[in-house]
Amino acid sequence: MASEERGRGRLLHNMPGLLQASLNPWLVRVRNNPERLAFVLHRVTGVIILAYLVAHIFVTSATVDEALWESVMGALSGPLSRVGEWIVAGAVIFHGLNGIRLILVEFLGLGVGRPERPKPPYVPPSLRSGQRKGLYLVFALSLAGWALAGVIMFAG
Amino acid sequence: MAEKEWGRLPEPPREVVLRVKRYDPERGRTWWQEYRVPTYRGMTVLDALLWVKENADPSLSMRYSCRMGVCGSCGVVVNGVPRLACQTQIAAVASRENPVVTVEPLHNHPVVRDLVTDFTAFFEKHRRIIPHIVRRDMREVEEAEYEFLMTPDEHLSIYQYSLCIMCGLCYSACPVAASDPEYLGPQALAQAYRFIVDVRDEGYDRRIAIVDTEHGCHRCHFAATCSAVCPKDVDPAAAIQRLRRIVFLRRLGLWRKRKVAPLAGPLEKPLRRIRAEYPRHNLVEGADPERQAREPVDIDFREEWLRE
Ligand code: FES
Repeated sequence: MASEERGRGRLLHNMPGLLQASLNPWLVRVRNNPERLAFVLHRVTGVIILAYLVAHIFVTSATVDEALWESVMGALSGPLSRVGEWIVAGAVIFHGLNGIRLILVEFLGLGVGRPERPKPPYVPPSLRSGQRKGLYLVFALSLAGWALAGVIMFAG
Repeated sequence: MAEKEWGRLPEPPREVVLRVKRYDPERGRTWWQEYRVPTYRGMTVLDALLWVKENADPSLSMRYSCRMGVCGSCGVVVNGVPRLACQTQIAAVASRENPVVTVEPLHNHPVVRDLVTDFTAFFEKHRRIIPHIVRRDMREVEEAEYEFLMTPDEHLSIYQYSLCIMCGLCYSACPVAASDPEYLGPQALAQAYRFIVDVRDEGYDRRIAIVDTEHGCHRCHFAATCSAVCPKDVDPAAAIQRLRRIVFLRRLGLWRKRKVAPLAGPLEKPLRRIRAEYPRHNLVEGADPERQAREPVDIDFREEWLRE
């Protein structure tokens, strides 16, 4: 932790930082906040997809002649890379579905409720409106889609 | 913040262990310190901290003022959640099985000492979004003769956001503020929205230019923790999303302010001026009847009020 000279004492910088914030959904242990979990999952799946995309472009552009292509494909057909592909499939499903929800919420302001006169117990409108139902739907559909992808990839 | 225990708190444990994260600015040292604090029904975390300061360790520093959730200076992280120390019951965060209460300074704000954090940058961000009514003709505000007209519905659309006490809990909980020190933060952005949609305000274009930046409203990724920790139910997460909608539509040329509130102007019926009477019985202590007779007071009344 860096600190900065100020007057007699030094201020302590107290920021968890990018890694903590993007990987730890329990950085703030507050209840009733699955949006935070979705935020972390969205970041992690985004990085997974990006890594896959880079690797994919590299493999398909570097292997120009047929023999090399065959050998690389042979090396990538093991069970370990199968599991890797399954993880990528799950990441794509979640990132895509949650992305639709986020576009609706962030660009059009949909599903965050309307301002109201607060009454105890204070549960703000945005945590009990359309986007929350959408989030549960996203979680359910992603799990189902991921399971389906597993069936198709491993049973087929 | 949603209190699950709201309305039916159990008795707190007899004694709690207060684990406080301390910081010494002179030596640049951080450490955890534990205090055993006897409790009573209704004791808050702030009461426990004050008990420590009075009875166990006078060097413990914290900040507070009103002790009733109004001033917003006592924000600390209790058991991993940013909360107002004065509004958090010990019984809500400690139980007989787990009588440990950890108290840390707010995250994302630089720490001055122990639990005291530096809010300079936070207030600076709030100031940056022009947190007051702006009119084309600023004389309407500065030399105000009349108020602006506003319907109850228009008031309700900003009322929730105007409850903000600037305690900094949302900023402390925000995962984006945790990695980008330049980020305006939930508090400032919610206030920007509150003033942009306020019917009395005409400074929306200036504010939109301020929030429509890399470190402005587009940095938000809707983790919504700000709304989950807000002690006043301000709902910054919803405000930011609606602010982004306005910024987005404004870029496309599809948003404009539908209505700007006019000045109230003079009353249709003039007020009636009547001479007030001083009470003749039950004189107030120190009242001087002679002086009252010398300096009569006139009061302006509406006709309707007089009839009642
Ligand atoms: S002391 Fe004022 S809000 Fe807690």
